[in-house]
Amino acid sequence: MLREKIRITLEHHAGGAADASVVAEAVTSTWTQMADLLTPVIGTRGVNVILRRSLHLMRMECPWLLTSEEHGDSAALLACLKARLAGRNPGDALRAGHGLLINFTELLATLIGESLTERLLGPVWASPDPFSENEVEP
Amino acid sequence: MSKKVTIHLLSTGIPGLDAILGGGLPEFSFNLISGPPGSGKTTLAHHIMFALATREKPALFFTVLGEPPLKMLRYQQQFSFFDIGKLDSSIRFVNLCDDVATGNLEQVLARMTKEIAAFSPALVFVDSFRTVIQDAQIQSGDVMGLKLFIQQLGTFLSGWQATSFLMGEFLSTNVSLPILTVADGLLSLEQSVCRNSIVRKIQVLKMRGQSTRPGMHTFRITNDGIAVYPVTLVLHDTIGAPGIVDVLRSNKRLAMGVPRLDEMLGGGLPSGYSLLVAGPSGSGKTILATAFLAEGVRQGEPGVIVAFEQTPSQSWVRALDDMVHAGEIGLINTRTPDLSIDEIVQDLTSLIHRFKATRVVIDSLSGFELAVAPTFREDFRESLFRMLAMLSTLGVTVLITSELEDRYIDLRFSPYGAAFLTDAIIVQRYIEVKSSLQRVMAVVKVRASAHSTEIRRYKITQEGIVIGDPVTDYEGILGGQPTRVHTPEPDR
Repeated sequence: MLREKIRITLEHHAGGAADASVVAEAVTSTWTQMADLLTPVIGTRGVNVILRRSLHLMRMECPWLLTSEEHGDSAALLACLKARLAGRNPGDALRAGHGLLINFTELLATLIGESLTERLLGPVWASPDPFSENEVEP
Repeated sequence: MSKKVTIHLLSTGIPGLDAILGGGLPEFSFNLISGPPGSGKTTLAHHIMFALATREKPALFFTVLGEPPLKMLRYQQQFSFFDIGKLDSSIRFVNLCDDVATGNLEQVLARMTKEIAAFSPALVFVDSFRTVIQDAQIQSGDVMGLKLFIQQLGTFLSGWQATSFLMGEFLSTNVSLPILTVADGLLSLEQSVCRNSIVRKIQVLKMRGQSTRPGMHTFRITNDGIAVYPVTLVLHDTIGAPGIVDVLRSNKRLAMGVPRLDEMLGGGLPSGYSLLVAGPSGSGKTILATAFLAEGVRQGEPGVIVAFEQTPSQSWVRALDDMVHAGEIGLINTRTPDLSIDEIVQDLTSLIHRFKATRVVIDSLSGFELAVAPTFREDFRESLFRMLAMLSTLGVTVLITSELEDRYIDLRFSPYGAAFLTDAIIVQRYIEVKSSLQRVMAVVKVRASAHSTEIRRYKITQEGIVIGDPVTDYEGILGGQPTRVHTPEPDR
């Protein structure tokens, strides 16, 4: 369910984009929305650790995605991530961004359960799309 | 003319908790839940929160550094009370880590008031509060004193019409003293480890404006959350309650289900009495108890048995099982290492009400003592006294078996001094006659009633206990060395 929602959301934001920077923006803004919803509940540290773990899990699939920002805060990590995504071709960037967001949500789901994850992240899928008029319903 | 304020009491939804709180939680009260790590503070708070929070009266749960919120959400979901459907609409979690990390209590308070104002909760929880205190202490240049912080928070929460709970380890530190003064209620949780059992206890140290039930009450955490077993309370006036008086004045006697035993008891066991059946291993105490319950079933007097000693192969135990399976009698057969007497009493009371039982069997005291957690064994006799007093207020007739070591120089009826607590006593013993063991039985006492004083032989057959004639041909039986009466003594 979560995988599908992420795919649809990213496609709405950056589907068919010719420029990888559009994909990078879509991935990071989706993640930022998730983080904004999660931080009040699990704290910045909780969000940060899940992001780092998700990135770590991407090391086989996309080694180029790994950053050297091991100890920086999420904002620095995200800026670095955005730059790396933007530097690839749009297809690679979309695959990597998709994988990262899936890792992030699935990791959260293994910790707090799928229903609570879906409940907490519900507004991300329902939020107005900054790039188009379309809205993705959960 | 001024009308006095009426404090509305909230039902906590936790079995037994309202009883020890004195009826429930006062609305808009500022409460502390204190206890060491692992004592169940968060679980208690969550159970209360999920029970009370509604869309109209939502709850706000602030998490501080104490337990990482990810883990809290992960583990608390395992309880059946954790209703995900209530999240967001009725319950919101707010993490204060970042604000607390600054060490600025003013900022923490500002964040809390902002969140409270935004969500307008009827219930506010802060888990755990001690972290706030410690962080504040570390920050030496704190502009706001801790005492002021607590007072402002307490005032704000009450003024905002919120019932609030602060969790932490308050009692182990002097810093907490100002909080104890400001708080309206103080619940203390602890777990005591004794040998290989862990027993959880809860105590209401303070609850403004209401009479709480004193004592350390045991509680248990299961998949359904928390269940409190209040210390058995025997009210002074219950003995005069109409039901009890009726039982005591009825002069009704209960048939024991063993031929000739009723006659020995002076016409059966008086209704509402407690009877101690004491005897050595294998003397037939359980058989007597089973006969007592079976007779009850025949007479339309339902019974309940608390069984601690059962070996399924025996035929009379099968008879007992049959009655249990047929729903004719209730059975409590608990085998947990951390059992408290109050828990048994509570289960027993509800079973008595459910079966409308008038006969109760506890088999046996020795098994009972082994079954309760080691920490309760010191107070076993006292708890037994309270249990019997409570059973007598229910008007039931109780039969208790007690294992008795055969000590012929020491005539005791119970190793717990329980003999004086009971109204009637039957003692069973072995005697040696012509190099063989025989069983004898006697009625030692039946309070305020005439009874037989004879010592009678009895046998245990497939049909149960068969009481024979009085032992008139021997004397000195209870001394263990019977001698034949009228036998000419040889000259020494």
